[in-house]
Amino acid sequence: MTPRPSLASARPVARPRRWLRRALVAVVLLYVGVLIVAPLAGLLHGALADGLGAALATFRDPQVQRAFGLTLRISLPVVVVQAVFGTAVAWMLVRDNFPGKRLINGLIDLPFAVSPVVVGYMLLLLFGRQGLLAPVLQALDIQVAFAVPGMVLATLFVTLPFMIRELAPILKAFGIQQEQAAATLGANGWTTFWRITLPALRWGFVYGITLTLARALGEFGAVLVIGGGIQGRTETATLYVYRALDERQYVSAYSAALALGAFSLLLVLGTEFLRRREEKKR
Amino acid sequence: MTTRSIAALSLLLVLSLALGACGGSTAQPAPASDATAATGQKPATLILGAYTTPREAYGELIPIFRQLWQEQAGQDVVFEESYLGSGAQSRAIVEGFEADVTALSLEADVNRIQQAGLITGDWKNNPSNGMVSNSIVVFAVREGNPKGIQDWADLAKPGVQILTPNPKTSGGAMWNILALYGAALRGYVDGVPAGDEAAATEFMKAVFRNVTVMDKGARESITNFEKGVGDVAITYENEVLVAQQQGQSYDMVIPRSTILIENPLAVVDAYADKHGTRAIADAFVSFLLSRQAQEIFAQHGLRSVDSSVAEATQSQYPPVEDQFTIEYFGGWDQATPRFFGDEGVFTQALLDIQSQ
Repeated sequence: MTPRPSLASARPVARPRRWLRRALVAVVLLYVGVLIVAPLAGLLHGALADGLGAALATFRDPQVQRAFGLTLRISLPVVVVQAVFGTAVAWMLVRDNFPGKRLINGLIDLPFAVSPVVVGYMLLLLFGRQGLLAPVLQALDIQVAFAVPGMVLATLFVTLPFMIRELAPILKAFGIQQEQAAATLGANGWTTFWRITLPALRWGFVYGITLTLARALGEFGAVLVIGGGIQGRTETATLYVYRALDERQYVSAYSAALALGAFSLLLVLGTEFLRRREEKKR
Repeated sequence: MTTRSIAALSLLLVLSLALGACGGSTAQPAPASDATAATGQKPATLILGAYTTPREAYGELIPIFRQLWQEQAGQDVVFEESYLGSGAQSRAIVEGFEADVTALSLEADVNRIQQAGLITGDWKNNPSNGMVSNSIVVFAVREGNPKGIQDWADLAKPGVQILTPNPKTSGGAMWNILALYGAALRGYVDGVPAGDEAAATEFMKAVFRNVTVMDKGARESITNFEKGVGDVAITYENEVLVAQQQGQSYDMVIPRSTILIENPLAVVDAYADKHGTRAIADAFVSFLLSRQAQEIFAQHGLRSVDSSVAEATQSQYPPVEDQFTIEYFGGWDQATPRFFGDEGVFTQALLDIQSQ
């Protein structure tokens, strides 16, 4: 897969009959409308039920600010780690042959298949007080479960595939000819990577980061189990939404949820916008 | 996008990281500088691990305790609270969530923490035998009771949709099941002869065939009911009373026979000692058992464990025709395996229903 073809410029090869085409458009609009636009509209309606002022007041609550701060503190290191290691893993998977490569390739998709709540319990079995690593952690006096490190680990687990699955196909399609050419012209390995490979990967990079960040912001089950939802300490924005619903603070819950959703949406749309602009320049 | 813009992007990421870290440092509980200046005492942190339904009561009680402790010991106490289903909370504490004080739905969940060696003291050694509040199992029904739900027997009627939480995570769910089975076994369900265990089990199956939603905790269950799901929610009396205080307009039905819910409260010795918060934890427990706190619990729908407060609030909390306790089943040590173990009456009944 090369960088995604822009949807707007893709033209149908042969024009289907007019009524069929109209029916298909209607199905697409209905499908996306029911599954995405309608819930978003409902959320907007819920958040603004008591007016804009009440919705905005949510974000003056120190507990809400802490929750969003924690979400950022978890998501950003996760993005950095995935950007670095994701690139390395994708590189190895495409360019190298090593024993166990196929196994690794399969394992990378595991986070897509495992329920996040199960991920939380897996980490508890490892890092909990009765977990396998408990003696080590106790000796080093490190708190992983019910603390931020455990939540970062959980988020790393669920976001693992995105970067790799974006980069690997691009690396494959890009091939090695340009790198070889650079080498024959006297560039060393680092220069080649920095000047030739990385620029070729840039859109995979951007999409990978966007998806990783969006997924990290939205994680719920795994961080609830491993973090315990302690208000003011291990409560992320999504966990705050869950708690506010339990406390019947519906406007706060919907406003916080809307902010999270809007941020992810902006992220995705912003990426798409940048890409369009670059395509036009060409 | 060029190499330069990639560099710029990385810079942006690093910057936002730094920003996040700053957010982190401001996110620490703000120390009460005036208190520190006045007494030289550092503010203490007390961690409360609780079940989901008494959160409004704690929201009112904690500020009062903070003020009392400030006056008494000249120290500010910052609370960290977590509210999960009772079973889930108990397992989290066992797995290393270091709560100094735990308030759970049922004694069995405290026993689990005790068996893990984290509660070492005699937590039941107080006038209320370790309990902090009582309640009963009731039904929440739609305004005006359109389905005519009067007693347990009505829950088994065809076409009645019921919400009750999942006993794997929720303590309230366990109380609900024991209330239902006990009422049937004690002869308060037509067609189930008193003492007939097989008939009581069949009745339990009939009711659970009508259960449409099993949520993680009692609070989630009742808020889903409020969103229009189902005809009846089997729940704590205090859940319905708190919801009515918050403007919800559904009705409460008290069955003729129901179980007395007794909610335990304990200091988690291992964690309190580790944090050096034992004195505050003990003081918090004593405060919650005081007359002042018990009156506040009563205002939040909970029946008091203090006999004088219970007497004063009797008009709010009518007596039940046939009220039994967990002792009817020989205590939690016997009730837990008998009903919720792998071979337990409820576990097997649920499997039967699901395989049909």
